[in-house]
Amino acid sequence: MSKQPSSMCPAFGAVRNLLRMEDAMPIVISSGDGCLYGHTFVAHFYVANRPIYSPGVSSEIWAKGSAFDELRAMVFKMAEEHQPSIIPICSLCVSDTVGLPFDLLPKQIGNTEIIYVPLPAYSVHTHARAKDIVVDSLVWRLPPQRKARTGVNLIGEIFPSDPIEIDEVLRKIGTHVNTHVPGPRWADYVAMVDGALNAPVHPFYSESVKRMKMKQGLPFIEGAPVGVDGTYTWITSVGRELQLNPATVETVARQEQAKVRAVLDQRSLDGLTFMVAGYEGHEFLLVRLLIEAGAKVPYLSTAVNTNPLAREEEAWLAERGCKVLYGANFGDEIAALTDRPYDCVIGTTPLCAHAKELGIPSIYYTNAMATRSMMLAKGAADVIDLVRQTVGAKVRYDRIARFFADDETHLERTYTSWAPKLDLTEHLIANQAL
Amino acid sequence: MAVRENIQEKELPSDVVNTPIRKQVTDLDHAGGDTGAMQVFASLSDANVVLDGPVGCHVMPAVAVINYTDSVPYLQNVTCSELSETEVTLAGTLGVLKEKVGEATVAGRQVFIVSTPVSELIGATWTTEHAHIPGSAVFFDSHSLDDDEWKSRDRALLFLWQNRDHFVPRPDAPARLPKLRPSVNIIGPTYGNFNSYSDLAEIKRLVAGIGADINLVYPFESASGDTKHLADADASIVMYAEYGRSLAREVGLPTFFAPIGLEPTTQFLRGLGKALGLEAQADAFIRLEKKTTLAAWHDIWRSTHSDFFANAPVAIIAPPTYKDGLTYYMGEELGLPILYSAYRTGPESAPNEAVRAALADASPSPMVVFGSINERMIIAQEKMPSLFFQCSFPGAVVRRATGTPFVGYAGAVWLLQCICEALFDTLFANLPTSAAPPARATVATRDTMRDSTEIVSSSGKGQNSVISWTDEAKALNEKTLKRVPFFVRVSVAKKLRAEAEALARERSSDVDAGIIAELTARYSPRK
Repeated sequence: MSKQPSSMCPAFGAVRNLLRMEDAMPIVISSGDGCLYGHTFVAHFYVANRPIYSPGVSSEIWAKGSAFDELRAMVFKMAEEHQPSIIPICSLCVSDTVGLPFDLLPKQIGNTEIIYVPLPAYSVHTHARAKDIVVDSLVWRLPPQRKARTGVNLIGEIFPSDPIEIDEVLRKIGTHVNTHVPGPRWADYVAMVDGALNAPVHPFYSESVKRMKMKQGLPFIEGAPVGVDGTYTWITSVGRELQLNPATVETVARQEQAKVRAVLDQRSLDGLTFMVAGYEGHEFLLVRLLIEAGAKVPYLSTAVNTNPLAREEEAWLAERGCKVLYGANFGDEIAALTDRPYDCVIGTTPLCAHAKELGIPSIYYTNAMATRSMMLAKGAADVIDLVRQTVGAKVRYDRIARFFADDETHLERTYTSWAPKLDLTEHLIANQAL
Repeated sequence: MAVRENIQEKELPSDVVNTPIRKQVTDLDHAGGDTGAMQVFASLSDANVVLDGPVGCHVMPAVAVINYTDSVPYLQNVTCSELSETEVTLAGTLGVLKEKVGEATVAGRQVFIVSTPVSELIGATWTTEHAHIPGSAVFFDSHSLDDDEWKSRDRALLFLWQNRDHFVPRPDAPARLPKLRPSVNIIGPTYGNFNSYSDLAEIKRLVAGIGADINLVYPFESASGDTKHLADADASIVMYAEYGRSLAREVGLPTFFAPIGLEPTTQFLRGLGKALGLEAQADAFIRLEKKTTLAAWHDIWRSTHSDFFANAPVAIIAPPTYKDGLTYYMGEELGLPILYSAYRTGPESAPNEAVRAALADASPSPMVVFGSINERMIIAQEKMPSLFFQCSFPGAVVRRATGTPFVGYAGAVWLLQCICEALFDTLFANLPTSAAPPARATVATRDTMRDSTEIVSSSGKGQNSVISWTDEAKALNEKTLKRVPFFVRVSVAKKLRAEAEALARERSSDVDAGIIAELTARYSPRK
């Protein structure tokens, strides 16, 4: 049985966010060419059209310890030639195990901040945790909080228009969005010290918000403005935490809640059963929307580990018959597919590949869901429309599944042929303790 | 050279060839040893591969990247030992590995364990008392801290041959048919090899064309138990020079390399025919091909299309097989000027910075750059007017339809067709006007002619006057035009002049260097 959660190389969660920063020049210290090839391949496919710099590595270089000298020379050269705002140094499995003396690097060269980002993937475990590490490493460099502080810091990758929509709502209750990270500029992070409240809209930023509370005295709230209940709760939490006018907050929260409800009422998912499995960490929010639209989601399988920021989400889901399985490895889900008639699967590539093989409409979470807005009424409409469109294509999935069903060699190589087969959906839920 | 009966020791990738390890790397162009070995073993139909590493070392190559190189959702017969901090710092990998190998060991499947950088760093191997039992799991040290994917593929193929007696034929394996005709092995491709599906289909077609049978397509269409039957063939064809040579040498049969270009393909067919005693059939097949597959080639060659070849420069940056093959075919046979060519991978591999400098400085710019996503990024970042044509990884692409070979006669036709399409694309992109609908008449000519005596001379910088160009503007204009492929230079010259003068009129100035600079900054082949 698999013990570790299924995840894209966890370190990539960090590498991608850093590569998207326009005034950063990340250095990736890879474990070897296989490792670096993977990171650059996917980064150049969907992260950014820009060079990726690495010191060369080999067994001899590790043994001689010369990697650090090369790195040091590289950092100075890059800082002097290009003067970026920051040079984040992503240290992956091998360099972090070997233990390069990163402390000996200067903290600043000219105006460039040199920031070490520890990413030994074997102990980071999840993509989501790596994103938390980035925010944490960057923000830790900032000075303690200033006196005058105002507005809400949004933390979490969201759709480009989300901060604008959220800002509009916040202005109605007397505050605003101060900054949003992960953002494209170092200034987006620096601005965090001016904020009055952290709002990690995805539950996996737990370490960074905890440390910001400790160092900068910045409080935080849980949850996100997603779905009928979520939208109301989030707006009122902001109001309570910032001591805004309770009557105004209540009115605005009710208005926004009503808008989301209207959207969901027009887009019923009644009678449909979904399997949701993700490694990104915002699967909770999606399931919330599905359930509120009337769908049945027996359980949520997520690669992220148990997390204090997700407790309220978990309780909300549990009340509605959805169990959360943390640190999941999706071999079990693949086996469970054949046991229960799911109408739609939203999951990882392997899981969706199997679902499609069985004629079940499915979408890859990362490509289709993670890139969409889920926030407020607009986001709810967007997500549920996509889901309904997918479920509506059942006939097409069936037709193809029937055509290929007699191809024995096609099924011969399946992972499930050598994975345990006893895992029924009920069994999975019952064994949450495992 | 198509016929190879003796492979020199110094040519063997396993012993010698590796991409140099540089002090600094920008935009890596090759995968590492763990990935290469995994791609070889996973290609065998009965293999279960266990990578001894953390989840990322499994998911990156076998789920994420494979989906964009081979369009496979994920490799279903690959898993990993899921190392965590406990194994790396304390326990070692043997415990978790045993568990995974146990799960992977099922009837009819051979388990391959492949080392990764982390497991090599902590010195993990696989030693059990079962090593001597046929069909038990085998361990391959992929040298992933040092070796590139190609060297590793070559070593892995050799490793399979060296262990051929360890592998157990599947109980349900079909009985081997009595040999009726001469047969060949096709060594390579494996997963993660650019365009291999089409190339393989073409080589199979050529082999069948001269009346030979295929003994094994190895490793892709074979099981581990078939390995020893490589010896049953009469000749071997190595698909790509980068790997498979060491295996071919050990198997010891006359060895041929997949040919790129017309003449190399003809030589290949004749050589293979001779080695198999099928000379007459090979000649007959070549004659037939001229009337069928190659009729298209001959038609294009006789058309005006080929008149432009001498003025349609290209750059080729690829691993050795494609770099050498395309350079020969395009440069020698088609007569396209090869402005720049460089190896990616192997001992003579060019670093990214050198490729960038060569491409950005080329004058004229190449009409087409054959390369990977690294070159594609250079074209975009350096605002080059070149078209991009993918001929290697990295770079997400779908090449599963089998109609896009580079090798063989069909490959010669396909590449020729691509060159012609590039010509047409370049031509279209540089047509001098897109005035649809046309610009409106601003004066009634008849009225003006009647009323005015000096419509041209009095207008100064007006509608119909000649605009003068500063010397700097002329020089910059000249320089810009030199970057454009010759056969569209006249179109671009017209377009630049029209746009520059329009801008000058608008600003009531001469055409100065600023205007030209402004226009060329906007310029890109797609606009």
